[in-house]
Amino acid sequence: MKREHQEAAAGGDRRGGGGGNWYAAAEQEKGKALMGTDDGVDELLAALGYKVRSSDMADVAQKLEQLEMAMGSSAAANDDALLAHLAFDTVHYNPSDLSNWVDNILSELNAPPPLPQPPPPPPADDPLSLQFDLPPAVTEQYTIGTVDLPDGSPCKPADVDELQPEASTASSGWLISQSGHQPEVAKSLRDRKRLKVCSSPPSSTITADAATAAAAQQVVIVDSQEAGIRLVHALMACAEAVQKENLKAAGAIVKQISVLAASQGGAMRKVAGYFAEALARRIYRPQPPRGMGCSSTVESAALDDMLHHHFYESCPYLKFAHFTANQAILEAFAGFRRVHVVDFGMRQGLQWPALLQALALRQGGPPSFRLTGIGPPQPDNSDALQEVGWKLAQLAKTIRVDFRYRGFVAASLADLDPYMLLGPEADGGGVEDDEPEVVAVNSILELHRLLARPGALEKVLGTIRAVRPVIVTVVEQEANHNGRAFLDRFTEALHYYSTMFDSLEGGASPPAAVEVGGHDQAMAEIYLGRQIYNVVACEGAERTERHETLPQWRARMSRTGFDSVPIGSNAFKQASMLLALFSGGEGYRVEENDGCLTLGWHTRPLIATSAWRAAGDPLSTSASCRTASS
Amino acid sequence: MAGGNEINANESKMAVPLNTWVLISNFKLAYNLLRRPDGTFDRHLAEFLDRKVPANVTPVNGIISFDVLIDRPNNLVARIYRPAPATAAGSIPIFTDLYQPPSSDTFPVIIFFHGGSFAHSSSNSAIYDSLCRRFVSLCDAVVISVNYRRAPEYKYPCAYDDGWAALKWASAEPWLRSGKEGKLRVFLAGDSSGGNIAHHVAVRAAESGIEIAGNILLNSMFGGNRRTESEQRLDGKYFVTIQDRDWYWKAFLPEGADRDHPACNPFGPNGVRLEGLAFPKSLVIVAGLDLVQDWQLAYAEGLKTAGHFVKVVYREQATIGFYLLPNTNHFYEVMEEIKEFVRFNL
Repeated sequence: MKREHQEAAAGGDRRGGGGGNWYAAAEQEKGKALMGTDDGVDELLAALGYKVRSSDMADVAQKLEQLEMAMGSSAAANDDALLAHLAFDTVHYNPSDLSNWVDNILSELNAPPPLPQPPPPPPADDPLSLQFDLPPAVTEQYTIGTVDLPDGSPCKPADVDELQPEASTASSGWLISQSGHQPEVAKSLRDRKRLKVCSSPPSSTITADAATAAAAQQVVIVDSQEAGIRLVHALMACAEAVQKENLKAAGAIVKQISVLAASQGGAMRKVAGYFAEALARRIYRPQPPRGMGCSSTVESAALDDMLHHHFYESCPYLKFAHFTANQAILEAFAGFRRVHVVDFGMRQGLQWPALLQALALRQGGPPSFRLTGIGPPQPDNSDALQEVGWKLAQLAKTIRVDFRYRGFVAASLADLDPYMLLGPEADGGGVEDDEPEVVAVNSILELHRLLARPGALEKVLGTIRAVRPVIVTVVEQEANHNGRAFLDRFTEALHYYSTMFDSLEGGASPPAAVEVGGHDQAMAEIYLGRQIYNVVACEGAERTERHETLPQWRARMSRTGFDSVPIGSNAFKQASMLLALFSGGEGYRVEENDGCLTLGWHTRPLIATSAWRAAGDPLSTSASCRTASS
Repeated sequence: MAGGNEINANESKMAVPLNTWVLISNFKLAYNLLRRPDGTFDRHLAEFLDRKVPANVTPVNGIISFDVLIDRPNNLVARIYRPAPATAAGSIPIFTDLYQPPSSDTFPVIIFFHGGSFAHSSSNSAIYDSLCRRFVSLCDAVVISVNYRRAPEYKYPCAYDDGWAALKWASAEPWLRSGKEGKLRVFLAGDSSGGNIAHHVAVRAAESGIEIAGNILLNSMFGGNRRTESEQRLDGKYFVTIQDRDWYWKAFLPEGADRDHPACNPFGPNGVRLEGLAFPKSLVIVAGLDLVQDWQLAYAEGLKTAGHFVKVVYREQATIGFYLLPNTNHFYEVMEEIKEFVRFNL
C-alpha cells in the first residue's frame, strides 16, 4: 500500500526502536547535511518549509547581509521610516521561496518610498506611455462586505460590516524607480518577480514528490469524551465491514450507531447521523430519494443553490473563497481597460458584487467588465442564470461600471469550448478596437466534479489554457476524498466533516443575521450532509465530490502547463480581518501554503485558494500586450 | 554603524553552518518587520510568514501526530506526538488507537513549550514540529506541544496558565500513565520562552503536589533590569540584541512592570523562594554565544542555592537555535544529554 511504502522509504519503522535506530538515522542525516546536494534544494531547510537551492545558499546569505546592513544603518540613524515602509507597505509572497522573498524586500529597499502625490503624466514619446491613467495594484482600496443587489434579491440585504481597508496610503507593489518610469513598468517588475517565483521551481522533484507523497492525514480531536470515541469507532468498524463487503455485520453496526449517536451532543451527533445514513444507503442500496446526493437531477440544482447560499451565510469558508479569488483577479486585472471573468459556477453570483465595487473604486476608473456565468440546466426552463446577470447589471449601473453579461447552461464544464467562452467581443470587435480583453477564469468548488469522468478535467484545463487567461482562480476543499480505497475516503471524510461541523457550532454567523442564524446553520449542515452522502454512498460517475488536496491540485495544474501565481500577504491580512466578523471566529485560521491561502478550523485547513497562469506565456501579459497594442 | 554590522555578520557567519545562518538570519529579518516600536505586533504578517505543518496520523519515521483541543474557551490546542500505534497492516490509526499507551513499559511524557520569545511561533510551526518528532524518537516519549497564548495580545500569566492547563489535561489522561504504579512520568521542556514557561509551570506543579520527573531548559529566556556582562559583550553579535530582548519582555510582562518581575527574573529581588519545595531536577542547556547566558547561569545557580539538582550543559561555541538543524556536534551531543537526562529520571 502506498503509505506503507512511503513510510518504509522514509527510514524504517522506529517502533520499539529507541536509541540504536535513532542514532543511525542521525548519522545518515549528518552525512547528508555535510555533503549537501549540488542541484537540489537544501534538504534540512526544506524540512523546515524553506526551499533554497544549495547552490543559491551563499547568494541568499549575501542578500540577507545586505538587508541587515541597510536596516542596521537606518536603525542607527533612528530612521523608523524605512523599517515602517518595509513592514507596512511591502506585500510579501510565498515565504517558502526564500530567495525571492529576500529579493522582494531588497527591491523595496532599493526603491525610495512611494511619493504621496500621483505620478506626473508620461512624456509623449515614452514607448510605455499610455493614453490613460494607470491604476496601481489595488489592494488597500479594496472594501470587503456584502452589497445590495436591487429588487430584494434572494441575497441577503447589505450587511453593515464593511471593513475599512488598511490605512496605508501607499499602494503596495507600486514602485517608482529613480528614473521616473511609469508605474506600469514597476508593476511588470513586480510581476516579473512573482513570475520568477513560479517559473523556476527549486526542484521539479519537489512537485512530483508532493503529488505522490501521501497527504498528511490530519486529525483534530475537539471532543475526547468516551462516548464520542466509541461513536467514531463504530463508524469506522462499519466502514471497514462495508469495504470487506461484509454487509450483514455492517448492517448490525449501523443500527448501533444511531443509538450511540443519540447519546452524543452537538456536532458529533449530526456528523455521525449523516455518515450513518450514507453507510446505510450503501449497505441496503435502495433507490436514492429525489434530491439526495447521488444523481444530480435538474430539480436538485435549485435546491443546491439555496443550500449553497445558506452555507455561504453561516460560516466564512465561501466568503474567504470569494474574497481571496477576487483579490487575485483584481491584481491580475490591474492596468487593463477591458476585463472578462468566466465563472464556472455562477449560481447566485455572490462573488461578483464585491469585485464590481472594487473595480468601480479603482484609481483611474473602472474597466469595462464582462462576465460569463456558467450554470447547470434549470427546472421549468426558468432562467435563473440570466436573472442573476440582470441583477448584477442593475448593480453595475448604479456604481457606473460598464457591464456586459452572458449566461451559459452546461450540464458539465467539459461541454464548454474556448470559442463559447471568449465570444465575439474578445477580439475587441466592438467599441474599443485596440484594447485587448483579458480573461480571468474562476472556479469555486467546481473542478473536483470533473474527476468523476476520465478525461473531463484535462479537457476543461485545455479549454482554460486556450482562452489564455491572465489569471485562473481555483478554490477547492482541502482534503483527499478521492482515494481509491473506500475506507481511506471514509476516514478522511470523517475527520474533515467532523472538523467542519464543529466549526459551524463554534463560529456562528455575524450578529446582523442572528435571527436567521439557526436556520442558516441547519441548511448549511444539510448542504454538507449531501457532500458526505456523495462521498460515502456513491460511486463512479455519480460520485462527484472527489475532493483532492493542494499538493494534488498543484501537481495537476503544473502537469497541464500552469504556473502558480502566489497570493500575497495583503490578501492574507484582509482575509484574517474578515474572520473577526464571525463570533466564535477565534478558531478560524488563515494559513499561507507555498503561495496558496487556506482557511481552516484550529489547525486543520478546510478550504484552499490558489491562483494560476499558463506557463510559458509571454512574460506579464501586461507589459507585452501593451507594447504589442501601442 | 555599517562597518560594525559587517563585522557582526562575519562573526556569526563563522560560528554556524551556512544553512543555519540563513535560517536564523531569515527569522531575524522577519521578526524585525513584525515588532513595532509602539509595542504592537504585526500578528497577521507573523502568521503569514511562519512555516506551518499539518498534524499527521500517517506514520512518518514511525511517528504520528494529532491535535487536541484541550480548552475550548481559550482555543487551547496541543499537538500530540507519539510512536505510531500498532494497527492492522496499512490502515490509518483511528481515534481509539491514538489513545492507547505507546508501550507496556514505562515511558516519558514530555510537555514541550515552543520558543519564540513569547510572541512568535506555534505548536504547528515547522521548526517545532521537527524538534518534537526528534524528542519522540530520542526518548521513546509521548510529546505534547502546547500552543500557548502569545504576547503582546496575551501577557503574563496567560502562557503559564495554558501550560498549567496542559499539565492538568495530561494528568487526567489514563493512557499517558505507565509503569507498575501506573503514574504519569512527565517532563517539562522548552526552548527560549518555552524554557521560562517550563520553570514557572514546574513551580506551580510543585506547589500543587504534582510530581514532575524533570525540567529541560534549552537556551531559556530569563532576564533582569541590570545589564550583564554577556549581554553587553554579545549584543547584536549573534542574531540577538538587547533591544529586541527588551521589546519581548515589555510585550509579555504586565503594564508597568520591569524586568525584575519574578516571571522574568525568578531568582531576582522579587523572586519566589524555592527552598523546601519538591521542585524537579533540571537540565539547563546554555549556548556560549547567547547573550542571555549570564541569566541562564544565574538561574542554575539559584536552583542550586535552593537545594535543587541542576545539570548545566554549556556549549561554548553554540549560538541560539543550534537545536533547529541537525548539522553540528552541538545538536547531536545536546540531544544525547537530553536523552540521558530523561532516561535517568524516568
